[in-house]
Amino acid sequence: MSHAAVEVEALVREFKGGIRAVDGLDLEVRAGEIYGFLGPNGAGKTTVVRILTTLLRPTSGRALVAGHDVVHDGDAVRRAIGVALQEAAIDPLMTGRELLRMQGALHGLRGPEAKERAAALLERVGLTEAGDRRVGGYSGGMRRRLDLALALVHRPHVLFLDEPTTGLDPTSRAALWREVRALHEDGTTVFLTTQYLEEAEQLADRVGIINRGNLVAEGTPASLKERVGEPTVHVELADPGSAAAARAALARLGTVEPANERTPSRVALRTAAGRAAIGPVIRALDDHSVQVEFVEVETPTLDDVFMAVTGSHLEGAERAEEEAEAA
Amino acid sequence: MSVALALWRRSLNEVLRVRGALLPATIAPLIFMFGITGQFGRLTGLEGFPTDSYISWIVPLSCLQGAGFAGAAVGANLARDIELGWFDRLLVAPVPRPLLVVGPILGAVSRSMVPATVVLVAGLLIGADLTGGIYGLLCLYFAAAAFCATAALWGVFMAVTFRTQQAGPLMQQGVFLAVFLSTAYTPQVLLRGWLSHVAHLNPMTHVLELARQATVAGIEPSFAHTWPGVAALAGMATVLGALAVNGLHRMGR
Amino acid sequence: MREGRVVAALGRRALTVQFRRAQLLMPTFVLPLILLAVIASGTSAGQGLRGFPDVGSFLAFVVPGTVVQGTLLAGLTSGTALAGDIEFGFFDRLLTAPVHRTSLVLGRLFGTFVLALLQSTLFLLVALIFGAHYPGGPLAVVATIGLAGINAVGMGGITAAIALRTGSLSLLQSLFPFMFVMLFTAPAFFPQDLLSPVLHDISLYNPLTYVVEGVRALLNDDGSLGNPWEGLAAACGLAVATTAISTLALKERLRRL
Repeated sequence: MSHAAVEVEALVREFKGGIRAVDGLDLEVRAGEIYGFLGPNGAGKTTVVRILTTLLRPTSGRALVAGHDVVHDGDAVRRAIGVALQEAAIDPLMTGRELLRMQGALHGLRGPEAKERAAALLERVGLTEAGDRRVGGYSGGMRRRLDLALALVHRPHVLFLDEPTTGLDPTSRAALWREVRALHEDGTTVFLTTQYLEEAEQLADRVGIINRGNLVAEGTPASLKERVGEPTVHVELADPGSAAAARAALARLGTVEPANERTPSRVALRTAAGRAAIGPVIRALDDHSVQVEFVEVETPTLDDVFMAVTGSHLEGAERAEEEAEAA
Repeated sequence: MSVALALWRRSLNEVLRVRGALLPATIAPLIFMFGITGQFGRLTGLEGFPTDSYISWIVPLSCLQGAGFAGAAVGANLARDIELGWFDRLLVAPVPRPLLVVGPILGAVSRSMVPATVVLVAGLLIGADLTGGIYGLLCLYFAAAAFCATAALWGVFMAVTFRTQQAGPLMQQGVFLAVFLSTAYTPQVLLRGWLSHVAHLNPMTHVLELARQATVAGIEPSFAHTWPGVAALAGMATVLGALAVNGLHRMGR
Repeated sequence: MREGRVVAALGRRALTVQFRRAQLLMPTFVLPLILLAVIASGTSAGQGLRGFPDVGSFLAFVVPGTVVQGTLLAGLTSGTALAGDIEFGFFDRLLTAPVHRTSLVLGRLFGTFVLALLQSTLFLLVALIFGAHYPGGPLAVVATIGLAGINAVGMGGITAAIALRTGSLSLLQSLFPFMFVMLFTAPAFFPQDLLSPVLHDISLYNPLTYVVEGVRALLNDDGSLGNPWEGLAAACGLAVATTAISTLALKERLRRL
């Protein structure tokens, strides 16, 4: 039996009209890791998740989850997985506790066991007080937390989270991230789809970037970003006239970018050291009596990675920027 | 008035642009008409029944039933619009609030003419008699249109009071009760027990009589058979209209 | 045993939601009672027609039609709720659970069965309060309630199959008048011999005819009104057939995934 939690080989899913939502995908998720599956809308993320959770059949190819084939051994897959889908599919007329107990019954828990598990999970996700209220009255964040709790009723080996924080406010998002990290520490494999760069960077051990049904890049966030370039240290000078001296001072610390007429008082230095280079940069400039207004470090983002491999931006990148600006 | 007309057009669009949108409102009264006639048709053999054609007795009922449900649907749609927030857009417009519902009511009345006509034609095809001529026909269509508007006002009242789609069944049950707690199946003289008293007091009994001038031989077209129904409709519309307008004004407070 | 618990859990959920949604509660409990009241009062003069059987209580004659009507509506609301689950994604949650696929259908139908038991108990009780007599006694009443439950499963199987095949909530909602076709083409509220010739002929082939007449015979303790065993056979046959159809519809749905 494979040690991989998820193995996908040449996976294809074609819809009516010849649309290939998944087009020969290969990927492997190691047991115990958080795998971030990043891509723009329509890239095929949800289709892949639905195949891996046995909600959709592949047109061709093979997929194993927890060592079981999703097509031929669906029952075994369903016993091993927990799922929180993109649309929190929960019945608004039931209470949180009722839903958890029902989910427990579906996973073979007897009455008292299901009751106990429901109480424990409500506490874990911070919904004890709301547990006996109908879900229809829950906020978006509460629904997502309940959705997560429902996915955890049977202590799954592999947890699929399909865009779990879409539409949530920053506080709710942070709470969900904490929960995902806690699951990771418990040894649960997490397959997380997202269009938020920050979410992938913050949570994932490894990230797979999907575009038009294909994996276009894969690796740790750091290694992916290294591929597209080194961090850049930007120095804003007090006196634009000292730019030449600044460039000369910094030349031994990395690659100094050529002068830019539009920003005469700015000097940019590309260096693998990143933030660690700030100190040496300031000392070097000080040694040459160059006065500095401020220093900032720009690191490549996953959007830069996406841009490099596809030639376009990830949609989530724009949204993340807007949200960061709003915050 | 242009707002009312615009909303009338919107409500008509909902059926003109959705294929088969009028089918449910047309099929239901047809099914009830054929079904009830098939079940209770022999009742015309009882002494006191003003016609020997049960289908002639039932056609006006089915027309009114269809018109009533079309009217109640205005309330259901309004409740949906309120719940989803769309109605807020209209509330912030500089328009007298009653005009916001005039358009949809006119739309319902327009739409209700389709099932009323289909039911009438189907009834005539299977044996109903057009005993009342043009006058009777006008009374039938007037009753259907006016009852549709009345039912719509009831629906609006329910919608602005409860402001949730869950009130939909209340709207329909209200119309159902109004129509069937009357001389729906048999004439007053053949009713027994509590229903006899209720039907006597129910204004819909007069509305049915107004409509039945079209097809029931024993209810000849005359002023005596007309004015009580018109007065009943005017009375119901006035009361429900006042409740609906009051409810609209109270929205947002 | 495990699948039994699953079926029970899903049935419990179906019932819980039914009682929390006014749109489902009204048609299943209130509408049949209103119609019963109107028909019992409005057409009772029909007892004077030649050919109308000699029954002590017109209400007891009509209430079997109400019981069967209730089962139709229980089945319809059940299928509508299932279509809603499919359309709004809750059914996906159930599909990712490690349960036997048929349990998803059986659970829903179990809820329908229990709903019909509650409905028919209410209808019979209300009719009793308003003057109905049941010469068949308590056993007949219990048998009627059981028969209603089985018939509701039959009706629920039809609507479940449609829901699984189409996944369309609006389609299920528009089926309401068509369910009444089944009711009207049976001697639900008037004797079979007094139906119009067309309906009379159709009623011979309508399984609900035998259910209604079977219940009528049970409650009135009068074998001339119908045959309870035929009613039971018709209800069971319908339940088995439509449950199979809905199971096949689910399999087809899963195959098309």
